Amino acid sequence: MLEIKRTSAVVSPHPAAARPTSPHGGEVNRVRVLSLLVVDGQNTLTKVSGVIRRRGFHVRGISVGPSRQPGHSRITLQIDHGHAEADQVRKQLERLVEVVEVEDLTGDDVHNRELVVATVAASELDALLKRGAKVLSTGSDGTTVEFSGDADQVADFVNELARHGIVDVVRSGPVVMRKSE
Amino acid sequence: MILEALEREGVEYIFGYPGGANLPIYQHLHEHPKLKHILVRHEQGAAHMADGYARACGKPGVVFATSGPGALNLVTGLCTAYMDSVPMIAITGQVVSTQVGRDAFQESDVIGATSSVTKHSYLVTKIDQLPRVIHEAFHIATTGRPGPVLIDICKDVQQADAERVNTEYLEIPGYKLNGHVNLDGARQAAQALAGAERPVILAGHGVLLSHAERELMQLAEAAAAPVGTTLLGIGAFPVKHPLSLHMTGFMGTGWCLKAVQNADVLMMVGMRVDDRVTAKLSEFAPNVKTFIHVDIDESEMGKNVRPHIELVADARLALEAMVPQVTKVDAGRAKWLGQIDKWREEHPLRYKQSNGQLQPQDVLIDMYKRARSEAIVVADVGQNQIWAALWWNYDRPGLFINSGGSGTMGFALPAALGAKFGRPDLPVWCVAGEGGFVMTAQELSVAVEHQLDVKIVLLNNRSLGMVRQFQDDFYGGVRSQVDLTHMPDFVKLCEAYGLPALRVEKFEDIAPSFDAAERTKGPFLIDFRIDPEANVYPIVPLGKGLNEFREAPEYA
Ligand SMILES: Cc1ncc(C[n+]2csc(CCOP(=O)(O)OP(=O)(O)O)c2C)c(N)n1
Ligand SMILES: [Mg+2]
Repeated sequence: MLEIKRTSAVVSPHPAAARPTSPHGGEVNRVRVLSLLVVDGQNTLTKVSGVIRRRGFHVRGISVGPSRQPGHSRITLQIDHGHAEADQVRKQLERLVEVVEVEDLTGDDVHNRELVVATVAASELDALLKRGAKVLSTGSDGTTVEFSGDADQVADFVNELARHGIVDVVRSGPVVMRKSE
Repeated sequence: MILEALEREGVEYIFGYPGGANLPIYQHLHEHPKLKHILVRHEQGAAHMADGYARACGKPGVVFATSGPGALNLVTGLCTAYMDSVPMIAITGQVVSTQVGRDAFQESDVIGATSSVTKHSYLVTKIDQLPRVIHEAFHIATTGRPGPVLIDICKDVQQADAERVNTEYLEIPGYKLNGHVNLDGARQAAQALAGAERPVILAGHGVLLSHAERELMQLAEAAAAPVGTTLLGIGAFPVKHPLSLHMTGFMGTGWCLKAVQNADVLMMVGMRVDDRVTAKLSEFAPNVKTFIHVDIDESEMGKNVRPHIELVADARLALEAMVPQVTKVDAGRAKWLGQIDKWREEHPLRYKQSNGQLQPQDVLIDMYKRARSEAIVVADVGQNQIWAALWWNYDRPGLFINSGGSGTMGFALPAALGAKFGRPDLPVWCVAGEGGFVMTAQELSVAVEHQLDVKIVLLNNRSLGMVRQFQDDFYGGVRSQVDLTHMPDFVKLCEAYGLPALRVEKFEDIAPSFDAAERTKGPFLIDFRIDPEANVYPIVPLGKGLNEFREAPEYA
């Protein structure tokens, strides 16, 4: 019988610091960045989203794709933990049998990439190409470009698009990986 | 295939109800005489029976139901078991796999409907998954923090044959078990407790589930630390022990609440620290400098109260590791225990006997005199539950069964029947209010059919007593929709079902009625017409801190 035994006894010297503090209802950063390795299955996504809903968390960004391990997928989540303690998101997700591992990448040195695909009028292309966009196709209603970057860069890029008259735009969720040392 | 697998898992009883989508299973039931199937009268009854069975004997309870309405009737029972960490396996029939998703007859999304009230669940659409799934389900239901696991099996799969696979080897990569104890943490916890000026230990259901009562006693005595239990932890520590604080929480004893509110070190073992235990969270145990939390479920750490020392481990192993680490007990301990004794004298459990009406406590005290500690009490929900919790000296584990986390009315009767199936050697008493009793009263047929020796004690106050008390005490005295004058004549109802029953209205008739019940083999019901104004005290007003507990007005 295979059992993953995990030992933990955490002694936190400053417990108060671990509490989510928002005494005046002000904006505190309550977003956690988590990377989940999950077992593929009919119910996996339902179970993950069920926990998020039931525990009062809120999804800010999500992406799902195959992982290196056959039969397993990688889910990247940006989650607002609401009124719960920050670490509850990880703990609650780890309780799911479908979830093999949860890595909390919040605040770590990471590669955080998002993708945006947009169609713009052909005349508007220059500024976008200067930012590093790549042309995917050109058609009668405009040119379609893609751009990837971290969340801020993608947000800037979308702002730029807005100034140029977008025909259509789609944005992916984040994929996040810890930087190698 | 399914039934063989259940036999291999050592199943003795199945509580179930057939229907279109599980007919293939029932077709072969008679070929497995080792599996005793109990035909319930409503699927909710099956779930509670399996729950009572599991709580009484420790083995997982097994439930069968058909698709759609059959499976959905289990939801309340699954939730009840889930909230109280009870091991259970529910096997539901699902429409044939090619019909799934087409709104077929009696199709419902059972996985979707039960995900949040099960520890884990499976939809089985292919026969080759089945042997592994069943074995895994039992493993998951019974290990770590136990809980119900649901297996939804398509009808065509039930009919198919499968190779028997080797199920010795389990690989569930996402299933994490916390077993081991961090010795460093255990040492710190033990020293914090022993070195405290005013320590308190609170013990929950986890202590019973991990059979840690002996270790709890050793630690409490070594550290001279008083012990209170949660409602579900009752029995983890003998009520008559000098270090006992009895029950904690918003209907706990006055001396326990005083101790918790004045403690400087509070160790919480095998419990969730929910709102019924803390009352107003910001005022919970305000003098504690060191919270210690021991639980096998890591997500309980800091969910409600952030501990300074946390041990994610089996309660028995954790307590066992702590005992030898207790070295020096604080010199002020006698003073603290003396203070608690004073609170115990100032705020005893008490009730008035003088208004000529039958008091529920009179009934329970007589009951206890007979049963001593040699009986299982299964309580329903409401005032009857709290009276049964407080007015009975549980000095052994596993003798008090009730729906704590979910507070499911209608739990007691089927759960008591299940408990009797699980522990035929022990007398079983069912204590219920008349409101909850009628929610699952149809299961009386099961009691009669199997001549189960279960004695039912109705504490009949002709109202939804607990709600009535809340309305009286906290909602301006406006009594709204709590009157239960119109209820069946319970003696006649029992007659119709085929069991003997008595009605008792006077104190003098209590003892003779219990005599009659004890003389009778098989089920027996006593309808005690208790004082309709009797209340549960002490009680903490909703939204208030534990220190604001109220005592009975005549003693306040
Ligand atoms: C299924 C369900 N519905 C409603 C409630 C809310 N509730 C809690 S206690 C109670 C009153 C119970 O009345 P009764 O069974 O007569 O017991 P008593 O309090 O009078 O002893 C109610 C309605 C509940 N706990 N469960
Ligand atoms: Mg009542």
